[in-house]
Amino acid sequence: MQLADRSFDAIVIGGGHNGLVAAAYLAKAGKRVILLEASDHLGGAVTTGEISPDYMVSTAAHLVEAMPRRIEKDLKLARNGLRFAARNVSTVALSRDKRHLTLSSRRQDLAALRQWNAHDATALIAFSDRLKAHAAALRPLLLASAPRSGGASLDAKAAFRSLVWRARRLGQPSLEALLRTLPGSIGDLVDDTFEMPLLRAAFAFDAVRGAAEGPYSPGTALNLIYRRALQHERKGTSLPRGGMGALVEALRRSAEGFGVAIKTGTAAKRIIIENGIAKGVETEAGDFLHAPAILSSVDPRATMLDLVGHAHLDAGLASRLAQASRRGATAKLNLALEGLPTIAGLSPAEYGARLLVLPSLNEFDQAFASFKRGKLPDELAMEVTVPSVVDATLAPIGHHVMSVLIQYVPFDVAGGWAAQRDRLLDRVIGTLSLYAPDIRARIIAGEMLLPPDIEAKFGLEGGEWHGGEMRPDQLLMFRPAPELAQYRTPLKGLYLCGAGNHPGGGVSGRPGQLAAELALSDGRRA
Amino acid sequence: MNGESDMALAEQVEPGEAAEAPDAAEHPDLDRLEATAEVDPDLFAHASDEPPFGRRVLTTPLHLSVAAESSTNLWTDWNGYTTPEILTSLDDEYRVLRHAAALGDISPIVKYRISGRDAGAYLDRLVTGNVMQLSVDEAMPVVFCEDRGFVVGDGHLFRLGEGEYRLVTEETHLAWLLDSALGFQVRIEDVSATLAALSLQGPHAAAVLNAAGFCEIETLRPYGARWFDISGMPVYASRTGATGELGYELWLDPEDAPMLWARLFDKGAEFGIAATGFALRELARIEVGIPRAGCDYLGAFTAVDPADASTPFELGLASLVDLDGGHFTGREALRRLKQREPRHLVVALALDFPEPIQFCAIERDGGIEGIVTSSGFSQALGVNLALGRLRYAASVGALAVGVDFREGLRVRRLKIPARLLTEPAIISPLRHTVPAPLLADY
Repeated sequence: MQLADRSFDAIVIGGGHNGLVAAAYLAKAGKRVILLEASDHLGGAVTTGEISPDYMVSTAAHLVEAMPRRIEKDLKLARNGLRFAARNVSTVALSRDKRHLTLSSRRQDLAALRQWNAHDATALIAFSDRLKAHAAALRPLLLASAPRSGGASLDAKAAFRSLVWRARRLGQPSLEALLRTLPGSIGDLVDDTFEMPLLRAAFAFDAVRGAAEGPYSPGTALNLIYRRALQHERKGTSLPRGGMGALVEALRRSAEGFGVAIKTGTAAKRIIIENGIAKGVETEAGDFLHAPAILSSVDPRATMLDLVGHAHLDAGLASRLAQASRRGATAKLNLALEGLPTIAGLSPAEYGARLLVLPSLNEFDQAFASFKRGKLPDELAMEVTVPSVVDATLAPIGHHVMSVLIQYVPFDVAGGWAAQRDRLLDRVIGTLSLYAPDIRARIIAGEMLLPPDIEAKFGLEGGEWHGGEMRPDQLLMFRPAPELAQYRTPLKGLYLCGAGNHPGGGVSGRPGQLAAELALSDGRRA
Repeated sequence: MNGESDMALAEQVEPGEAAEAPDAAEHPDLDRLEATAEVDPDLFAHASDEPPFGRRVLTTPLHLSVAAESSTNLWTDWNGYTTPEILTSLDDEYRVLRHAAALGDISPIVKYRISGRDAGAYLDRLVTGNVMQLSVDEAMPVVFCEDRGFVVGDGHLFRLGEGEYRLVTEETHLAWLLDSALGFQVRIEDVSATLAALSLQGPHAAAVLNAAGFCEIETLRPYGARWFDISGMPVYASRTGATGELGYELWLDPEDAPMLWARLFDKGAEFGIAATGFALRELARIEVGIPRAGCDYLGAFTAVDPADASTPFELGLASLVDLDGGHFTGREALRRLKQREPRHLVVALALDFPEPIQFCAIERDGGIEGIVTSSGFSQALGVNLALGRLRYAASVGALAVGVDFREGLRVRRLKIPARLLTEPAIISPLRHTVPAPLLADY
């Protein structure tokens, strides 16, 4: 390789979507950037894979919910080939009695709900408005780097004062509701709000999807608000044409268009530190790359503890990083199907929606209890998409692919995954059959990624999707640790730009963008 | 020989049990009984163990030897150990320290054995100084901070061998030492209970040790240390101590400690050796101006309010901070703090008052500017010396100390002028002399 002895303006470690976004922004500003990716493909868990020849599906993450339109525009993703098979994908909570519930504030959906349960229709309007208002109050905190905490800084105080001020402007009841909601659980909140079990479960599912917390865990109400605030920048859930890999491909073309040198199959071995300053990167192959700015999009813990090393870090920071919890709770099932499974009561247009398979809230909580004890949950909550309904590139004509997120699957299961894998698969297919009885007959091929598989395949520790759990004590100025929450590290020149940083995971690209903008402004100041 | 004794000592250190069950190994006969009765020993494996923290009053291996010297029956607590406050009289003990040789049992001091491949690198990251420069059989004063640059504790670090260190501190720090050990191949044991320690301080200290068989002890340089074989007892002697005198500290097996104690009295009688208590240790360090953790400053994890914690600069320990060497915990914070004015200073004060005073306010122009944290009456100087914490801005100008003084059943409020001391009130010229004097007629 001709990497040796070359110096750059910036080195980006890790070619996930955040790494690519960061690299592209830096290069767009005229910097010479090299991006190092350990594996031979870009995107990490944002990727499209082949289940079996000609059946393509988003291997792990399967929806674009949080990537701001601004990043799409800045990086000219449309010009670089990004097309959406569907925008504004709606959400349908499936019901076993075939009376499915479309969750939206559209007039006809509300009218349908009003006929079903007038109380909940009214409650839904009020709840949606409140959720929107709370998300709007929180949103400014997600648009910039996280507020600084710590004695000397008034940053956090100012940020929270303005949050309270924004909530107060919506009226005193709204402030009270916000203060009451923030520490509460989503379960209590929806129990107080709705009568219909399906409606309760749907909101609860969205608050804890991908999280290792139960519907009645404190702080989960904030999760829902936080996610809504993140999603606000996008204005609707989208399915990229060609699966999630197409998004990464567009990012790659954009980054290379701006002049980023992308090296796949090139793992960083260590970050070279001299007297508290990050000077460069040594690759596994033994090459030395030098740059005044190094941005790492890999897990903050791996970056700091493995690539930088304990000897260069303060002990308190190192032990806080080591303790941060990484509990994966979500498995993924991808199926290649011969024909479209029939879900009774679902209109043809709704097959392309985000379909939620939900147990009752009580059963959902039971599932969480099983997860905590390392057991398979009896009742499964799932998010199902059939992207081939709107995207013909994914499967042969008349055939389909289905992508299923399964909630509350533990990393370590009692009895071991070798024995339990098939039981879980059976349970998933069995549950899906309750809604689509012909599904079993239509399966041609499939792959299931359990939390350990997700860890092994994408390097996500504990099989946790967000590079650090998104819970109140690991968000904002605590993500990933107070000292690291503003993308800068104690080591001059080293920045963190992955999902482990504010505002977090969920294919938003925002940590990459914000870290790159910060590195650029530091560079101008230097 | 030295290497062998080192190993012998190291092997007697039981990891884990060492800290909490000092006498767990003292009942070998019980174990033998169980074995002959053919009972499954596993059933009783923990029977002789004390519950953690179950025993609140501990005695040192030298307790009986020390108790025999007590004519006052004044005892105090030092890290949970019964320790003599005063054995004969503070005045007599003070004279022994400054004119002969004062022997004290310092076994309650906290001792950690730190060993392993990365022990040096680990300690270099832990403390603010440069540990890589420390040679084998050498000691250095150290201070260690947390991430914000606040002092966690201070003490002395001894290097006993390649990858073998001993950290001696006033307070316990095991949790922080273990937290800091992440990512290093290092083993940390609390050997406080399994390692006895004696302190011999005074102008005749070298003479006593020489007579007791510590050959060529006089050649030991300040902060130097060496193994000695005293009638088959391996003893590690270091030229250290917190009294401002010529002095040594002796580290050895608890079983050997009473024998060495007796031998020192036997051989040292002609040099005026006498046993001394904790009050003297306190007085001596106040005279030299050495702050004690937990008394004159609060460790970073003890101070709930960061305003109560101190930086090394505020403790007058700036010389122990090497900002240009390798990384250590708190280095970035200390770099920033060094540019700033300290918030407060730990200062030594001289007060013209005939009795020790405790915890009273330091005033300037009628306003409270600080607090006296420890004090003692120095016979040699005829003044009351104190250590206190003073607001930095107030550290110039005329200071006074307000004392409530009891007279019969009345209280008299006095305002005593206080002088800031910039140097140790007392420091012996023998402290740095090499070779140390062996004659009793000094």
